[in-house]
Amino acid sequence: ICILWDCETGKQLALLKTNSAVRTCGFDFSGNIIMFSTDKQMGYQCFLNFFDLRDPQQIEDNQPYMSVPCNDYKITSAVWGPLGEFVIAGHENGEINQYSAKTGEIIKKAKEHTKQINDIQPSVDLTMFITASKDNTAKLFDAASLDHIKTFRTERPVNSAAISPIMDHVVMGGGQEAMEVTTTSTRIGKFEARFFHAAYEEEFGRVKGHFGPINCVAFHPDGKSYSSGGEDGYVRIHYFDPPYFDFELEA
Amino acid sequence: MHDTMDMVDDPEYDEEEPSFSDPEDYVDDVDDDELLGDILREKPQEADGIDSVVVVDNVPQVGPERLEKLKNVIHKIFSKFGKITTEFYPEADGLTKGYIFLEYAAPTQALEAVKNADGYKLDKQHTFRVNLFTDFDKYMNISDEWETPEKQPFKDFGNMRHWIEDQDCRDQYSVIFEAGERTAIFANDAKEPITFEERARWTETYVRWSPKGTYLATFHQRGIALWGGEKFKQIQRFSHQGVSLIDFSPCERYVVTFSPLIDTKEDPQAIIIWDILTGQKKRGFHCESSAHWPIFKWSHDGKFFARMTPDTLSIYETPSMGLLDKKSLKINGIKDFSWSPGDNILAFWVPEDKDIPARVTLMQMPSRHEIRVRNLFNVVDCKLHWQRNGDYLCVKVDRTPKGTQGVVTNFEIFRMREKQVPVDAMEMKESIIAFAWEPNGSKFAVLHGESPRINASFYNVRNNGKIDLLKMFDKQQANSIFWSPQGQFLVLAGLRSMNGALAFVDTSDCIMMNIAEHYMASDVEWDPTGRYVVTSVSWWSHKVDNAYWLWTFQGRLLQKNNKDRFCQLLWRPRPPTLLSADQIKNIKKDLKKYSKIFEQKDRLSQSKASKELVDKRRTMMEEYHRYRETAQQVYQEQKTIRLELRGGVDTDELDSNVDDWEEETIEFFINEEIIPLGDL
Repeated sequence: ICILWDCETGKQLALLKTNSAVRTCGFDFSGNIIMFSTDKQMGYQCFLNFFDLRDPQQIEDNQPYMSVPCNDYKITSAVWGPLGEFVIAGHENGEINQYSAKTGEIIKKAKEHTKQINDIQPSVDLTMFITASKDNTAKLFDAASLDHIKTFRTERPVNSAAISPIMDHVVMGGGQEAMEVTTTSTRIGKFEARFFHAAYEEEFGRVKGHFGPINCVAFHPDGKSYSSGGEDGYVRIHYFDPPYFDFELEA
Repeated sequence: MHDTMDMVDDPEYDEEEPSFSDPEDYVDDVDDDELLGDILREKPQEADGIDSVVVVDNVPQVGPERLEKLKNVIHKIFSKFGKITTEFYPEADGLTKGYIFLEYAAPTQALEAVKNADGYKLDKQHTFRVNLFTDFDKYMNISDEWETPEKQPFKDFGNMRHWIEDQDCRDQYSVIFEAGERTAIFANDAKEPITFEERARWTETYVRWSPKGTYLATFHQRGIALWGGEKFKQIQRFSHQGVSLIDFSPCERYVVTFSPLIDTKEDPQAIIIWDILTGQKKRGFHCESSAHWPIFKWSHDGKFFARMTPDTLSIYETPSMGLLDKKSLKINGIKDFSWSPGDNILAFWVPEDKDIPARVTLMQMPSRHEIRVRNLFNVVDCKLHWQRNGDYLCVKVDRTPKGTQGVVTNFEIFRMREKQVPVDAMEMKESIIAFAWEPNGSKFAVLHGESPRINASFYNVRNNGKIDLLKMFDKQQANSIFWSPQGQFLVLAGLRSMNGALAFVDTSDCIMMNIAEHYMASDVEWDPTGRYVVTSVSWWSHKVDNAYWLWTFQGRLLQKNNKDRFCQLLWRPRPPTLLSADQIKNIKKDLKKYSKIFEQKDRLSQSKASKELVDKRRTMMEEYHRYRETAQQVYQEQKTIRLELRGGVDTDELDSNVDDWEEETIEFFINEEIIPLGDL
């Protein structure tokens, strides 16, 4: 299901039932249109659904104004483009597609990752986005052209990645899938969030503390802290020390 | 089915039988060959029997009264190889001539007879000489003309020692990764490995270097291949279906291959010894037991190789590949043996036998002279540990002393370089986990105890036989000892189940230089010069984090090299040095001079590397900033659209709408502190 909440009051404003699990959802820039994707499960295909919140009839009838089917590889993560004209979706096979919010057509395609895309997060100005993939890399793309700009390599699957709002940094979190965890180090705090320089593609720092794979990372909008959530059930919030902001790699 | 009736009797049959004979003057136009060709071919030919005939010489000359007995004896001996169809005992002057002719049913049987009966000692005066009859013909008819054998074109593989000539003395190592799909050769540089050669599917399972580093052996379904020279060209190929294990002779002249596939009785195929330079198969052996590989152990100079079978020690010599002195050593109960790595001396041990105590014997080859025998009592098991130069032998003896239940361990230390090889015993209180000699020195390291209380002890063997305990470290996380090939330094490692704990020790003063960890490390490999250590996590034992790390001998981590599904790293061995002991002494004297030059070189290359990196970064940053600028421009241009979408509210910056914010100050009670001010 997909639920619309009021942040101030916590009231449920709308509840939209779906045939299969909802994987990813989001508001467009105007806040008037929502999109969400459903999984390919139990005989139901993967769909990318669009509702216009200004038309209460759509909510009441649970009828999106547009429902785009995705054949073959299901959508695993999606974000809106900068001005609400398209949705950028990452698929199970590593593909990235731009779906038009008006027609549902695929405007642009990109295939840079070789395995499932676990997370997509846009930069604060929505001009670029970073993808986190099971193929052990995270990649930086331009939102409008889908040009592949940077690649950040690790030796573990990357579950989530985010772009700093104020520095040329990206943060990534990952680890083995829950099923395979017994083969990795279970020692205290071995799972780390890793910081890369966005331009040099070089890792410059790690933060230990999680007991299990990290599933989600995000920067605070002011860029002075970040938070990470993991398989171990903990959400950690870290504030950066002053040296973090002065740090520079020799160039 | 009714009975057939005689045609003649059939009343209905009236006509006269037509004649089927040929007319009188008919001439056959069908060849005998055409008509009966296949049968004709089988017509016994006069020349046919010769290939199955053998001539046996040195047969006793007997008179008619003993002839029957002689024939029986000969028959008994020779019918083992096949069916004897004819025998001929020529006579002269009432006695047999001393040679006989035997004909077998098939030429193969005759060959068997020659192979096995030639040299058969009937009695003191009569040793049979057996030859094929056709051989006589061959040798009598040797052409008088001598034809020089055709000259084979010289296959130039280039400089086989090319890698040793690297200006910066970089050692090579082989890496198998991508689960075996790719094999690469790297030159080791402290900064980062330099790829020398990389090939897909170079080997099907794993690789092995030859002992002096000249060849790289790769495994394939049909056999093994040897590669070498500057470009790693294929030097030689050995066809041995299903080969799974190989072993090189220390001199690199021979390679032994083993295949577990079925081999035939006539042609032993399980173990084959090859001559590397010519590619010839020298000899094949059966493999009876599933013993420990290598089944054949080579003497250090490659002159002899030996193997152990129940109650027997068979020693062969090269290049003939024949048994030394034509017979094996009968040693009842022999349990294990090994060659000294420095001399042609064999060490072996036999367990207790009724009244005779267990003993370890040192035997000189080829004389078979027993240099030293040591009796041992109440022995459960023994292990032989040679020091790499053959200066010392340590026999680890597990015993159950009389009257006790437990097992105690003794080390019997043989000092090989002293007259009459004195032996000293040392008792160890705890169970032994690992033992290792310093490769070219007089020290040894022992890991003993039970997890989690494992101790590491270092001993030195002095000339007078005293064994000094230098130091003991307790509560170590280690299950293996790795000495540097140059001695003095070693690594204590807790591999696999001990999660890769590492301790780097300098045994000159027994100080732990560094304690580190390579999580889940499965192997530790020293480079041949003793400067670097590689620890690795192989995909074969652990499916994640496959990588190899490079450390200095002091335990300083230099590189972490992740390789997709990394499997195996092997350093390329170096051939023994060409320098004399004096030359080495001189170089050590001038070491300071060389050090200065090397340090300067290092500094130059470091700054060059940093400069390269810095330049690369600068270009990347410029490119990135250019991209960001264009993106920012587009962003600014879109500002109006954004305002429109959000109903005129500017949300571009965090503080775009400060007026909308409400500031509220809340006080929290944190702490109360009561400070007495004394009497007011």
